[in-house]
Amino acid sequence: MTFPAVEIESARSSPMRLGMVLFLISEAFLLGALFWTYYYLRGLTPGWPPHSPPATLAFVNTAVLLSSSATIWLGARAIRRGNEKGLFGFLLATIVLGAAFLGITGWEWTHEDFFPWTDAYGSTFYTMTGFHALHVLGGVLLMLALLARTARHRFTADSFKAVEVGSLYWHFVDFIWILVFTSVFIIR
Amino acid sequence: MNKAPLKAFAGLAGLAAGGGLTMLVRLALGMPVWKTSPVLVVGIAAGLFAWLAATVGFRKLLSLDAARGALCGLAGTGVAIGITMLVRLAIGLPAWNASPVLTVGIFTGVVVYLITLGVFNYWARWAVGRPDGADRPKKPGWARYFDVDTDHKVIGVQYFVTGLAFLPFAVILQLVGRTHMVDPDLGILASGSYESVIGTHGIVMMFIVVLPVFFGLVNYFVPLQIGARDLAFPRLNAFTFWLVPPAGLLAAFSLMAGGFTTGWTAYPPLSSSFEVQGMDLVLIGVYLAGLSSILTAVNVLATIFKKRAPGMGFFRMPIFVWGTLATTSLSLVFTQFIGMSFLMVLLERTLGMGFFVPAMGGQVLLYQYLFWFYSHPAVYIFVLIGLGLISDIIPVFVRKPLFGYKGVAVSSMGIAWGGTIVFAHHMFAAGLPGWMRVPFMITTLLVAVPTGVKVFAWTATTWMGKIELKTPLLFVFAAVILFLIGGLTGIPQGIVPTDLYLHDSYWIVGHFHALFFGGFLLPAMAAIYYWFPKVRGRMLSEKLGRIQWFLMVPGMFLMVVPMLGLGLEGMRRRISDYEFILNLQPLHIATAVGGFLVFAGLVVLGYNLVVSNRRGETAGKNPWEASTLEWMISSPPPEHNFDEIPHVHDRPHLEQHAHVGGEPEQKSGEKEGDKA
Repeated sequence: MTFPAVEIESARSSPMRLGMVLFLISEAFLLGALFWTYYYLRGLTPGWPPHSPPATLAFVNTAVLLSSSATIWLGARAIRRGNEKGLFGFLLATIVLGAAFLGITGWEWTHEDFFPWTDAYGSTFYTMTGFHALHVLGGVLLMLALLARTARHRFTADSFKAVEVGSLYWHFVDFIWILVFTSVFIIR
Repeated sequence: MNKAPLKAFAGLAGLAAGGGLTMLVRLALGMPVWKTSPVLVVGIAAGLFAWLAATVGFRKLLSLDAARGALCGLAGTGVAIGITMLVRLAIGLPAWNASPVLTVGIFTGVVVYLITLGVFNYWARWAVGRPDGADRPKKPGWARYFDVDTDHKVIGVQYFVTGLAFLPFAVILQLVGRTHMVDPDLGILASGSYESVIGTHGIVMMFIVVLPVFFGLVNYFVPLQIGARDLAFPRLNAFTFWLVPPAGLLAAFSLMAGGFTTGWTAYPPLSSSFEVQGMDLVLIGVYLAGLSSILTAVNVLATIFKKRAPGMGFFRMPIFVWGTLATTSLSLVFTQFIGMSFLMVLLERTLGMGFFVPAMGGQVLLYQYLFWFYSHPAVYIFVLIGLGLISDIIPVFVRKPLFGYKGVAVSSMGIAWGGTIVFAHHMFAAGLPGWMRVPFMITTLLVAVPTGVKVFAWTATTWMGKIELKTPLLFVFAAVILFLIGGLTGIPQGIVPTDLYLHDSYWIVGHFHALFFGGFLLPAMAAIYYWFPKVRGRMLSEKLGRIQWFLMVPGMFLMVVPMLGLGLEGMRRRISDYEFILNLQPLHIATAVGGFLVFAGLVVLGYNLVVSNRRGETAGKNPWEASTLEWMISSPPPEHNFDEIPHVHDRPHLEQHAHVGGEPEQKSGEKEGDKA
């Protein structure tokens, strides 16, 4: 069996993307622990769910977050073609959509008829949506950093790795939301 | 001018001021004025600070990142606690409730500490597109180690020394516990304190000693052994290191905050009850240590995948790197589970949540699933690097290549990933569904296979070798035997019927102490003697090394074997008392004596480190005539590690493993691939 010798080039290439992929694998397990909790309790509790948070607004929220995945993709495409203004605009749109998602989530939380300390369902509901919201918040901060860098003309058609890596994170957070949404609001 | 009186005076004044102020505050809060531990701890801390300030100068002390971060972090904690209490008053809650107030305070304090320390400076500058400030001047000498530094060799030493600094603390705790058990009627510890003391011993040992010591070795030597300039993300590396000191202090100070009687596993409902006051600090401390180890895993994996030197294929890496690869691939994903389960307990304590509270529709067993899903793989996180060290040190001192190199390399991954599907064997006695017992019993016993591969390979490597009994090899031999004892005593616990009897007894305490001695402490000792010459450029004293060995290794046997006996006699763990009529006292005495011998060995090690660091004989490039890459550069290594890109030709521990500098050998063409 032979093993290809590693080229000098690849030893010098930036491992940023691999780092992000590894980090996301790790985060998937963090959220996996929450899903484990949710489905374990669901399987052992008669009459699940004890509360039914309204799904209408969550549908709107899903649409908001999914469209932000589209805007970040468009932003990465724009800078790949050298369009710095396009990147700036789409990053801004992504931030606005992310902030809107957080705002809607916050409004929902204050209008539920149960609290984290009501019962185990409440604890799980708020912890799952809360951890996801924390990840969205982290994503928004990341996008703000990218926006600040774009404003200082640090990204060009040849150099935009950070945008790609950042969008990877954003897509991941969106994907996790689909799982949370399906578990908590659709199949109940 | 002699400054010694001034220094002593400053220290005493600090002690008096700190202690006095604490007593005044206690008086003002309506508490009894004197309580030994808080008054003394604050006094000693203040005295130490004043002494340091008088010794190195106040200004210079404050210019150290670590000192600035610690002071600002403390202040931040205090302010956040105050604000939280005011907010609680404003919304009509009682001002003081330990869990939420402390949690908010400590998290805020840690964030303030990290910001003022400066670990985020690089990223903040990057975000706004300014130069990253990496050219900041480095302080000479020891001061550099108290600054945020991104060089993997500096961070490696920082990790290692942090781990070593907490080691005596954790060992002394346990000596107190063991002394108590010699004659519980003397009442050296109250019954609640005994559990807190041994719980803190466990938590500090695992998360603040074992992990930092191993991460220190990984940081320093993985880049050198694979021929890289640094880790893949040096700034992330600095960030993950600076999470460890507050984690360690939190775990240690939990004793002052009331202790925790749960043992290191922190099972609810006990851990979420408010009678266990020190729990919050432990939960947060372990969470920080876990975060650090997750991000380190990202960093190290990216390094091993992306930063290898030309020719360094996976099957040309030293086994230490393989062990690191296996360990980090586990801690990458499984540490999230202990982080989450501890956070869930913290949420129960602070926000009154109820994941594990049956009255609220929660499930107690859920915690054990989440916890052991991490904590079984964690055992392998703690030992795989040590096993890698053993595999790399034996060939150097028996002058033979490692027997079955490829099998040993793959067995690391086999142990790691086989170990992920055995976790429920910790719960055989916990009311597990019946059908889960036999499958988990089978997987548990299967993990013995890759472990056996390693032991056979070590034995076969030694066979007919030209053995040089230097101190590293002595420690490695002892490690193999203790690891073997640990492994064999594990089998009865993997088998359901015997486990139901042995579960939660001293048998398991003996079993995992044998594993930790064989998989962590002794390999770490071997690594100190093996690599100290590389790090400091001076040899450690062989004579002191042998004295240490003859104190420590017999001490370990004297500690572990009686523990196994106690377990068979039916002595339960985490119980602070026993009946004399059961005739258990001789075994408890033996265990305690063993513990003191191990500690005496550590004292000798400390003396050896201090003395040899100053006066040891000069090591030169390659004192052990080893062939891996770190020995091809000067000791200590230059700032940039390699003057020229190293080239790797073959497996480790062969003459032609690699070379640095000069043209790549032309004739090595036929050796390009790995032949076996």
